[in-house]
This record gives sequence, structure tokens and C-alpha cells, in this order.
Amino acid sequence: MKSLYSSALLILSILAFSSCQDEITSTYTYHTMMPVYYEMSDIRARVISTEPAQPLDNPGKIYIYEDYLFINEPTKGIHILDNTDPANPINLSFIPIAGNVDMAVNGNILYADSYVDLLAFDISKIANIQLIKRVEDVFAHMYYHETGQIITFKDTVLTSENPAWQGGGVWMMDASMSFSANYSAAAQSYGTGGSMARFTLSNEHLYAVDESTLRVFDVENPENPTFVKPIDLGWGIETIFPFQNKLFIGSNFGMHIYDASTPSSPKRMAVYEHVQACDPVVVNEDHAFVTLRVGTVCNGVNELHVIDIKNPYSPTLKKAYPMLHPHGLGLAGDFLYIAEGVHGLKSFNVSDVMDIDQNQLEFLTNQGSVDLIPGPKSLIVIGPDGVCQYDYSDPAKLKKLSCIQVNNPVNFY
Amino acid sequence: MYKSLTLFFVALLLINLEGLAQEKIYFGQTEIGLLVGRGVAQWDGNHENRTDLTLMSFHGARISRNHVVGFSVGLDQYDGVPILPFAFGYRGFLGKEGKPKLFGGVDLGYGSAILEEKVKNEWSESWYRGGLLFSPSVGVSFPARKGNTALTFSIAYRRQDFSYFQGNLAGTGAQTIVSDQLPPGFISLNETEHLYRSMVFRVGIMY
Repeated sequence: MKSLYSSALLILSILAFSSCQDEITSTYTYHTMMPVYYEMSDIRARVISTEPAQPLDNPGKIYIYEDYLFINEPTKGIHILDNTDPANPINLSFIPIAGNVDMAVNGNILYADSYVDLLAFDISKIANIQLIKRVEDVFAHMYYHETGQIITFKDTVLTSENPAWQGGGVWMMDASMSFSANYSAAAQSYGTGGSMARFTLSNEHLYAVDESTLRVFDVENPENPTFVKPIDLGWGIETIFPFQNKLFIGSNFGMHIYDASTPSSPKRMAVYEHVQACDPVVVNEDHAFVTLRVGTVCNGVNELHVIDIKNPYSPTLKKAYPMLHPHGLGLAGDFLYIAEGVHGLKSFNVSDVMDIDQNQLEFLTNQGSVDLIPGPKSLIVIGPDGVCQYDYSDPAKLKKLSCIQVNNPVNFY
Repeated sequence: MYKSLTLFFVALLLINLEGLAQEKIYFGQTEIGLLVGRGVAQWDGNHENRTDLTLMSFHGARISRNHVVGFSVGLDQYDGVPILPFAFGYRGFLGKEGKPKLFGGVDLGYGSAILEEKVKNEWSESWYRGGLLFSPSVGVSFPARKGNTALTFSIAYRRQDFSYFQGNLAGTGAQTIVSDQLPPGFISLNETEHLYRSMVFRVGIMY
């Protein structure tokens, strides 16, 4: 027993004199964007064929084609869903397309971008989608280097150990500080479909807008898209909406109206300028409806603007209505639907544009939404619950039909 | 919170001085003392010494005449951060009844940082998380002339760690990704783990 205590004393004194000193260990874990370099030649060498269905992770643009929904997974590819019954959409398959953020369908041909290239797919057999054409180097602004290398950014979580006093500089690498994170947050707004689309088809031409350029493709022969020309638009381009030989392009600074009666060579008719804001556009015969909101990449006001476009050379503001935080919007006949961000989803009767605020039909405060598409069967709403569909046969009584679960739902921006 | 806890322990000490425990099975020990340690090496290689207050109260049951098992609670201070320790413990005695005795013990448990409140604002959150406590001790007890109480002097080694977290929240609009390494909603997290190795010098009573 005595030896036990003396050994305990011995251990204690060893502890006391050897390691009686404090230690501090710092671990810094942060979300950042890692640059990833690809050779376009490698990407082009990949075989693209239909793969089994994959769960939706962080969906981008949605396109309605017959009974199908095409849902983009930004930079990864396109999900194909059978939407014969909007109350029960079925995830069918996935087409892996590296660098894809947008798409459009012309007849039986699907157009999709793949970094710098435009691809055309034959989708007449939905179970066996075939790549039939690749137009190379059309979105050349993505090139990092003339040798054919492109740069993209990948979300990454890194952990590093730093002595405490070096920690100060590390915040510079924080995700929110990086240009690319802001760029990708902005890019997300392009891709969600509906009024926030970037690809659009009109008069046998495909129009694609990026931040500053409108690119025109001739798709008169759908299987053989040919690049016509780029048209410079100025910075901050967000959305494109075609209507009756005109293109309405929403930017951070205003709404551009282009005459596309000569489809290969759209000409600017007017620019409706306003305060800087993020602003999707929808249009009918006489009026354009634009939402302006305060956002991460744009400052400004939260409003719905109704613009008289009877004379497209001289658009004039007819009335502005205050909104909460409007994102995408959709027009179906006399009814306007507005995604109000975290605040919900609204529907209005806009037959009298001077009295829209008096004609609010529905305000679903529990349906957060960033964009919507009034489809032939249902109103598709993209929000934090995933991709939801509503029966909107009565705009004053929206009935939820289904929600497709999403792993990583859209964030409000 | 901290003040009221101190009062609580002082009250506990005073109540125990009454010698209320007549039961043979029950064993209690309450001590107050100083935690002494050496801080981390500074830029010039020097160390700052650290001295903080510690309170400890052990409650156990005699499993034989010289062996007690039980648990201890207390309150320790490390550089101004209060830690509430909860530990399982053992005490063993050597010596004759009615004479000064040598005793030794060990405590193993968790030091909780519950007294440090979480600080949260629009952009960031910071909080403390407790950690492992290990503390072997030896001491001498001097029994009172009558009753079961004894005055004790002890020294101990005390290993305690805890972590300070400071995280920045993802603002609305920022991209977030699902990761095991970051809690949801955070874009960065800075963990500073403090490991304290202290010598403890205590005085108290057994009852």
C-alpha cells in the first residue's frame, strides 16, 4: 500500500515538473472557392450518355418539355423527370453535362451549354438521348487561357492549423470575400428558369445571354445550330424574355428592348433605365412587369414596376408598387405570380394595371420562393422546399400538388 | 451566476462544518484552493504564470474502511473562464483512526463550460465547449478531536481542456455547402482548444 502511494507521488511530481504547461491549438475551418482548371479537350472527350436518375441536389433552371421536366444541376448536368401527373413527378434519368447551366428545347432538340461549347441533343427517345452536335468555343469568355484551359470554382471546406496570431489574415480567404462566390451566387439567379432564364428561343433563333453579351444562334435547322454573332449589351445582364419579335432583357441597370424581327441581328430599340436593382422581366401586349429588389449583387428598392411598352421605342413607367422582396415572376393571361423570397408567393389580377395592389388574390406566406414558371399543367415554384407544383386553375386558391425534395435547396439572395 | 455559485459552495462548506454526516457509509470532502499553471510560450519564449481559484466538493460512499468511490462537482477558473467540473472519483486512505492520515485520489470527468453564454449576432456566433478533466491528488488529513470531521491539505495535478469557437455565419445569398466539418449555416469556424495543466493546492474538510 505504501509503495502505491509513493509511486502515485512520484507520478505526480513527474507531471508537475515535466509538463505543467498549457497548450493552445487553433483550428480554422472555412468555406472557400477552390479554382479548378480543366482542359476543354478533356471535357470534350467525355462520352455523354443517359444515366440512372440522381437525387436533386441544388437545382438551377427548369424547362418544361411535353410531359417532362428538365431540371439543371448547375455545372453537372440535367435531370429528366416524368411530370405526366404533377402531383407525383417521377425522376427518370440524368444526363451528365460538365459545365452546364442552361438549356432550351426546340422541337425534339435540346440545346445545352457545356462551358465554352453549345451542345445539341436528340431527345425524341427520352430513354436514349443522343448528342448530335457540338458547336465549339462559342462562350469563349470562359476561357482562362488561349491554350484551351478553362477555370471554374469549386466549393470546398478547408481546415488549417495556425498559431493564434496568424489567424488574422485568414479571413481574406473566407468564401463571402471571394469574387467567385459572389459570381456564383449571381450566376445562380440566371439558372432558375421562368422569368430568370438566360437561354431563350424565338423565331428559329437561340439567344443566350451572359453578364455582358447576347449570343445569337441560327436554329432554323434544329439539329444543326450555328453561331451567328455576339452582341454586346453592357454589364449586369440577368434575364431574357422573348415576346412577339422582341427581346426584353433585364439587367442590373434597366430593361433593354431589342427588335428581333430580323432574328439574326437584333437591334436595340430602347433601354428603360431605373435605379440599380436585380430585375426579372415578364411582358404582355401592352405592359412589361419588372421586379426590382435589394440583393447581394444589386442594391436598390423592392418594387414591382409596370411599364407601358405600347411604343417600344419609348417605354414609360406607368406605376410602381411596393413589394417585400420580389424575385422571379410569371404571367399567365391576366394573372401575375410573384416569388416574394422568404415572404412567400403572391398572385394578382393585373387586368387593371393601375390597381394591381387592390387585386391581390392570394399570398401564401408559408411558401418561400425565388422563381416560378406558369406551366401548362401546374405552376412550378422554386424555393427552399425544393421544386413545388401548384394547381393554379383558380389563381385565388393555389393548391399545392407536390414538392420534389432537394438536398441543397436554393438560398435566398 | 459565478458569484452565486461561489456563495453556494461557501454555504456548502459552512453546512458541512456542522458535521451533519453521522452515517458511516457517506463520505464527503469539500476543498478550496488555487490552480497554478504556466501559460503558453509567448513570442519571446517567456511564460506567464496563471493562478486561479478552484472549489471542489466530493461526495462518495465507503466501499471498505479505506476506500471511497463517488463523484465530485466544483467550480474552476481558467484565465477568467469558469468551468463546472463533474467527475467520478476515488479516495483511498492510509493511517490509523484518530491520527493524521495520508490520502490519495483520482477524479476523471468532464469540465463543462455551461457558465459561458453563447454570443450571437447577425454575422457571427461564439461559444465555449468543455472538455476532459483528469486529476490525481494526494494529501494529509488531520482529524478533529471529536466527531468524524478532519482538516485536509492536498496537492493535485489537474488536466482540463476546453474549446472556444468563433464562427462566421453565411449571410443571406452566400453559397453554403453541406459538410461534416462546418455546422450548417456557417462559412467559417475558428476553434481554439485550450489545454490547461495545473498544480492545485487546496485546503478543506472531510466529513
